[in-house]
Amino acid sequence: MLPNDAVERIGEGCKRIGDLCKQEGISQWEVVAFQSYGHQLDIEAGKISLAAGGGEGGYGIRVVEEGRFGYAYLVDASSATPAIKQALDVARASPSIEGFVLPSAQEAAPVEGLCDRRILDIGPEDLLEQADAVLSEVASLDKRAVVTGGGLGVGATASAILSSEGIESSGITTSHGLGVQVSIDADDELTSSYEGDSGRQLLADVPPCIANAVHWAQVTRGPIEIDSQPQDTPVLMTSEGFSPLFSMVVPTALRGDRLVRNESFWSGKEGTQVLASDLSLIDDGRMDGGKSASSRDGEGVPSRRQTLVENGRLVGSMWGTRDAAQQVAEGRIEHAETTGNAVRGGHQSPPGIGCSDFTMTSKNGGHSQDALLQEMGDGYIVHSVMGAHTANPTSGDFSVTTSTILRVEGGQILGPVKQAGLSGNLAKALSEGVRLGDDVRVQGSYSSGSMHLPDVLMLQGLRVNPA
Amino acid sequence: MVMSASPNDDRTSGTGRYLQQSKIQAALDHAQDLGASYAEVRLMAITDSSVAIRDGKLERAIPGQDIGVTMRILADGAWGVHSTTDVLSLPGQVESTVKLAKAVAARRASKDRPVALAEVPILENEVHWIPKKDVRNTDLDTKLHHLMTLHDSAAEDERIVSVTCGWHDEHLHTELMTSEGMNRTWSFQRSLINATVTGRDGGDVVSYRTRHGGEGGLEVIEACDLGELGRTAQIATLRLLKAERAPSGKLPLVADRDLTGVYIHEALGHPCEADLVAAGDSCLDGKLGQTIGNSIVTVVDDPTIRGGYGAHPIDDEGLDTREKCLIKNGVLTEYLNHRETAHHFGIAPNAGARAQDGLHHPLVRMSNTMIQGGTHNDLDELIEDISYGVYACGSRGGQVDTGRGSFQFAAQEAWLIENGELTKPLKDVSVSGLTLQILKDVDGLTQDARLAAPGFCGKGQTVPVGDGGPIMRISNALVG
Repeated sequence: MLPNDAVERIGEGCKRIGDLCKQEGISQWEVVAFQSYGHQLDIEAGKISLAAGGGEGGYGIRVVEEGRFGYAYLVDASSATPAIKQALDVARASPSIEGFVLPSAQEAAPVEGLCDRRILDIGPEDLLEQADAVLSEVASLDKRAVVTGGGLGVGATASAILSSEGIESSGITTSHGLGVQVSIDADDELTSSYEGDSGRQLLADVPPCIANAVHWAQVTRGPIEIDSQPQDTPVLMTSEGFSPLFSMVVPTALRGDRLVRNESFWSGKEGTQVLASDLSLIDDGRMDGGKSASSRDGEGVPSRRQTLVENGRLVGSMWGTRDAAQQVAEGRIEHAETTGNAVRGGHQSPPGIGCSDFTMTSKNGGHSQDALLQEMGDGYIVHSVMGAHTANPTSGDFSVTTSTILRVEGGQILGPVKQAGLSGNLAKALSEGVRLGDDVRVQGSYSSGSMHLPDVLMLQGLRVNPA
Repeated sequence: MVMSASPNDDRTSGTGRYLQQSKIQAALDHAQDLGASYAEVRLMAITDSSVAIRDGKLERAIPGQDIGVTMRILADGAWGVHSTTDVLSLPGQVESTVKLAKAVAARRASKDRPVALAEVPILENEVHWIPKKDVRNTDLDTKLHHLMTLHDSAAEDERIVSVTCGWHDEHLHTELMTSEGMNRTWSFQRSLINATVTGRDGGDVVSYRTRHGGEGGLEVIEACDLGELGRTAQIATLRLLKAERAPSGKLPLVADRDLTGVYIHEALGHPCEADLVAAGDSCLDGKLGQTIGNSIVTVVDDPTIRGGYGAHPIDDEGLDTREKCLIKNGVLTEYLNHRETAHHFGIAPNAGARAQDGLHHPLVRMSNTMIQGGTHNDLDELIEDISYGVYACGSRGGQVDTGRGSFQFAAQEAWLIENGELTKPLKDVSVSGLTLQILKDVDGLTQDARLAAPGFCGKGQTVPVGDGGPIMRISNALVG
C-alpha cells in the first residue's frame, strides 16, 4: 500500500524545504510532511457500492522570527519558495509573543503498536472479502437486517518533522476502520443503528460492533407508550452514546489557554473538586496502540501521559508551546509550558491544543450493566444521540435527541421509547452520582483524540423529554 | 511522492488548465479499451486563505494551495475510484481502477441492478463566475481591518471575556473530462467571516457565534455591516448570561430564518437525497407525489442563487446547476439526484452531485435550501395567538436520522412567548421531531424568505451550504 521509500521521500522534501529556509536566513523554522495511502469500500443498500484507493499529502511550513509566527502549506516541495515567502510575510505582520520559540530537540521513546505491518499488505481484494463477511454476518443475525450505509478501509500514513532546533523524526502509522448503518425495515417500522470500530491494528474480520448494530436495530423496535412529561431522571449512557457529548465538551474545557482565558466552565477551579470524587481524567499520548498516540506531538515535543483530573480534583491542563508562551506573555498565568499536547489536523494546520488518548476512570472500579441498572432503579438507557455537536463546550450545556433509548423501571428494561430529548449540563451531571461500567470501549471524538470510555450512569443533572 | 502539476498558463484570468488534456484523454480511452463503460477525471485546485484574530491580535494567517484529482471508472456496472494529490501519476492508475470496479461488479448479487448513468448533455466549455473583487488580490491588512471591525464591536463590554474572529476565502477551480466527451472547466469564489463571543458573569459562562459569507469575493464581506454583526453578537451574548433554561415539552415553536433553514435542511433536505433513498435509508422512499406537509410549505434547493454559500455554476458531474423544487404546496415533487440515482429512479438528472474537493467522489448534496415565503406579515403576526411557546433564533447546527425520519436542531438563543408577547430570554433550546409529522405542523410563514447565515453540511464529506426561508411557526414541536 505504502511505497517502500515513502518516509525517505517526504524526509527529503522536508530537508529541501528546510534548506530553503536556511538560505532565506530564517532563524527558526519547522517543516512537517504527511503522505497517506489507503483503500476503502462503500456499502449501500446491502451491497458494496464502490471501491476506492489513492494517496494524498503535503507539507506545512512554520517560521518564527522574534516571537512572530507564520505558516503556509503546499503539496509540492518544489514550489516551496513562494510558500516560505508567504509564511514570512505573515510572521512579519504578526504580533511578537515574548518568549515564544520553537521547541528544542528532546529524546522521545517510541510508542508501541502504532504500525501494524499486516495492514500494509492489505489490498482491495482483502477488503472485499471482509465486506462479504460483514454483510453475511448481518444477514445471519437477522434476515430482516440490511447494511444501508457505511464502509471499511485501511490506511497508512508516513509522516516527518524537521526543525531548525534539531528535531528530526519520522515514522509510519497504520489504521483499519469499519462502520455500518444497519436498518430493519419491516411491518411498517424502520429502525436503525450505526456502529463502528477502528484502530491502529488489524481488526477482526467481523468485529463486535456488527452484532451491536443489529442488536440496537432490533431492541428499539416496537416502542412502548410512556408518560410523555419531561422529567429529571437517572440515565445510563452507553460508551457509544456518551462519547460524542463527552468529547465535545470535556477535553476542550481542559485546554490550558481556555482555562486561563475564562473560556472554560472549569476556569478558576484549578485545584478544586470539579468531578465526582472517585473520577479521574487522563490524557495518554503514549498509550500502546492508541489511536491518537505517538512518540511526539504535532510540534515534535515528546508525548506524555498526564493526569488532568485526579479523584475529582482539577490538577492539570493541556498546552502547546505557542499558547503557553502567549498566555504567560499576556499575563494571564505566571508559568506555563508545553505538555506535549500540540495537535495538527494535517499539513494544512499549524499546531493547536488537543488531547490524544483520553480516559475517564473511577477509583471505585467498573460495574456490570445489571448492577448499574439496579442502582438506577427507574430511568433510561441511551445508546446514541443526535446533535452532540451542538453541545456548548464553553458552558457544558447540551440538548440533544435520541431514538435509541430504552425505558427502565425497577432496574428492568421495559422497552424502547420512539424518540426523546435529553438535556442538561455535562459538567454538573458528572460532578456527583456517577457510576462507570466495566467495559471500556474506544470511540472517536468531536474534538481531537480518541475517547476510552465505559458505559456511564449519571444519577442526577439530566432531563429526559419523551416525544 | 506528493507533487502537483502546474497550470498551463495564467489562471488568474480563469482560462488556465492544470490537466494535460491529451494525456487525460488517452487515460480515458485506455479505460474504455479495458472495458469501462464510463470514465471521468475531475481535478480541483483550491487557493485559500484563513485568518484568525483573538482579542484583537492576529492569531494566525494561513495561505494555502491544494490540488487533488479523482478518477471514477464505471465497469461492468460498478464503480472504481482513484484519488490523489499526485496529478501526474493518474494515467498509471487506470488499469488498477478498472480492475477494482470489476472486482466490485463480480460480487453483485443477481437481484441487484448494475450501476448505470442517466444521459446528460455533453458540453465542452468554461464557466467562470467572476467576482467583483477577487479574494486572491485581497491583502492581509484588508482582512485584518474587517476582522477588527467585527471584533471591536463585539468586545465592547467588560463581561465579554473573549472574542475570536475568523476569515476564510477560497478560489475553487475545477476541470472535468469524461469518456463521453464532456470537457468543462469552471471556477468561483467563496468568502466567509465569523466571530465567537464568550461572556462571563460570575460563574456563568456562555458563548454566541455569528457568521456572514457567501459565494463571491471581497464584495461579499464588504456588503455586510460588520459593526452591526458584532454588536448583535455582543448583545445576544450578554442576553444569554441572563437567560433561563428553556421549558421542555411539546410547544408551539416559532423559528427565525436561520433556524428555519437548518430545520428544512435536516428534516427534509437530507431525506430527499436520492442516494439515501436508493439505499433504503430515507423516510421519503416511495412518497414522491404524496402530500407530506402543510399546503403552505414549498421548498426549493437552488445552487444558482448567486451569493448563497452553497451556490455553484456546475455540479461535479458536469451538469449546469438548476433549481429543484422538493416540495410544492405540501406535495413531495422531486428528490435531489445525481446521474446514477436519476437512472436508478428513471427520472431526469437535476445536477445534485457535489464533492468536498478534488480528492472525493461526488455524492448527492444540497446547495441553497429554502422554504418559500407565506402570507404572514411579520413575527408579531405569527406569535399573536400563541399563549405559551418559544421563539428560537440562530443555529448551533442540527442532525438527522434519515431512515427513521427523526431530526434535531439547536438554537443559539430563544425567547419565551407568553400571550402573544416575547417575554423572557431562554438558552439551550433544541427542537426535535419526525419529518413526516412536523412538516404537517408548519402552520405559519412570513412573506420574506431569503437565505440566512452560511453553513456547512457533513455527510462523510463536508460542503458549504446556504439555508434559509421566512420566519416559521410550528404548531407542536418537541422542545428541550
